[in-house]
Amino acid sequence: MNVASKVQETSRSDGPRQSAKPPFLGFGLGLRHQHYDEILSGNPPIDWFEIISENYMVPGGQPLQTLEKIRARYPLVMHGVSLSIASTAPPNFEYLQGLKDLAHRVEPKWLSDHLCWTGVHGKNLHDLLPIPYTAEALDHVVSRVQLVQDFLGRPIALENVSTYVQFNNSEMTEWEFLTELSRRSGCWLLFDVNNVYVSAFNHGYDPLTFLNGIPADRVVQFHMAGHSHMGTHIIDTHDHPVCEDVWALYAAALKRFGRVSTMIERDDNIPPLDELIAEVERTRAMAEQVLGPAPR
Amino acid sequence: MSDLARQQADFQRGILAGDDAVLAEIPDSDKEKRETLFGVYRYAYGSRLVEALRNDHELLHGYLGDEMFDEMGHAYVKARPSQHPNLRWFSQGLPEFLRANAPYSDYPVLGDLAALEKSLNDAFDGSDGPILALADVAKFAPEIWQDLTFTPHPTAARLDLTTNAPAIWRALKNDETPPDAVTLEEPARVLVWRQDNTPMFRELPVEEAMMWDEAAKGIPFGVLCSMLATYDDPESAAGRGAGYLHGWVTSGCLTGVAA
Repeated sequence: MNVASKVQETSRSDGPRQSAKPPFLGFGLGLRHQHYDEILSGNPPIDWFEIISENYMVPGGQPLQTLEKIRARYPLVMHGVSLSIASTAPPNFEYLQGLKDLAHRVEPKWLSDHLCWTGVHGKNLHDLLPIPYTAEALDHVVSRVQLVQDFLGRPIALENVSTYVQFNNSEMTEWEFLTELSRRSGCWLLFDVNNVYVSAFNHGYDPLTFLNGIPADRVVQFHMAGHSHMGTHIIDTHDHPVCEDVWALYAAALKRFGRVSTMIERDDNIPPLDELIAEVERTRAMAEQVLGPAPR
Repeated sequence: MSDLARQQADFQRGILAGDDAVLAEIPDSDKEKRETLFGVYRYAYGSRLVEALRNDHELLHGYLGDEMFDEMGHAYVKARPSQHPNLRWFSQGLPEFLRANAPYSDYPVLGDLAALEKSLNDAFDGSDGPILALADVAKFAPEIWQDLTFTPHPTAARLDLTTNAPAIWRALKNDETPPDAVTLEEPARVLVWRQDNTPMFRELPVEEAMMWDEAAKGIPFGVLCSMLATYDDPESAAGRGAGYLHGWVTSGCLTGVAA
């Protein structure tokens, strides 16, 4: 497989409109309803929160009211799971309008989703499904990102997902695909440290090769999360604390990418807020250890 | 069809229909067979959607227990694949599914319990709207009360349930042993709404349910009282109507009044 030649063959435009890189927010946490009361009563020492966009794409009531209160105190970032940017089905413009309306309301520092697809033929599997890394897929996703960014009127960030399978017809690596996607579409990259670790284990490559293949100036956010090790493969369950191997990879990511907004992402088996704050504090401490104290 | 479109169709069919054609496009890893690796997606699909049903129907889950609920959940997942990008709406068709498909349709309480939970979920994050206050109604002169019409709060919904599902819901909510399910001679007329961010429901007397349903259609208060007079003592109909209206206003069920 001649990766370089395949990448060269993909159609190139004059390059996307470049937007200003989002600001460094510090060290944050995924907002979960189990912690609403504690956050509002205690103002915990978290620099920012990431919300799951779809949780607030509802008509009204307590979720949106609580979000307004938290938004008044903390910077917010929106993170979706249903954009399905790589799907070959037509985009769901009703969903995109809902996303745009929520972004108008929340005024997030940025908005992200995943490099994946969630369904075709009118069905939604509610999973982050993998794609082959082909020139055809790259052209397709670049055009979809450009469309979505035009529709939303803002750039998006895309996250590398954990994958359990690869495709025989892939023509480039995942990091080459992400690099080209970001360069050609102008999207930012959300570098999920755990997902790199999971995919590297599952597919038998060195996570540092992935890490070093990503352009440092395109990464606006790190995700840190836990997973479930099945022996022969790892499943990205987000229901455990971050493991030591992923902390080590985070240190390497800090060295390569510098000061990047970082957050702890827990989606299941949600622990008390204090436990997650301790993990947030560890991301902060490790960044200071690797990069020195944050400028005031 | 492009290679990518064909590949995605194969991949999806592999998950939804168990079709193994997609395996020809996937290599084994150095540690595991492709069947097992692809199986992660197959397993995650059903378990994630059944988990969503558990979250939305906590009391139905408690009523059926893990094994029966999961069996029912997988049957629903198979019959009604999700078509909405937001998982929030996946369970919307569950009451209708339970009422239309055996063996669940043999136990009407299941559809009723699911319908009650669905309505409460919908009230939880339903549209916001103003809450009518007693002062808003009192400002109208008595002589034009007969012409007043009322607008329900956007979260208010009416259900007619054929079983004692409301009593079973209350018992389950309080961690008590639920009563045996019975089919009622007269349906339970339930009003669901949101009060102070909390979904609520109560069972209405038959004439109050009639008055609510007609008021929601824009029938003015004077006519509503005439309709109440056909249900019980005509002399006290206006007083009963005013009493029901007072209850709706003080519990936050109404959003507007107009003459």
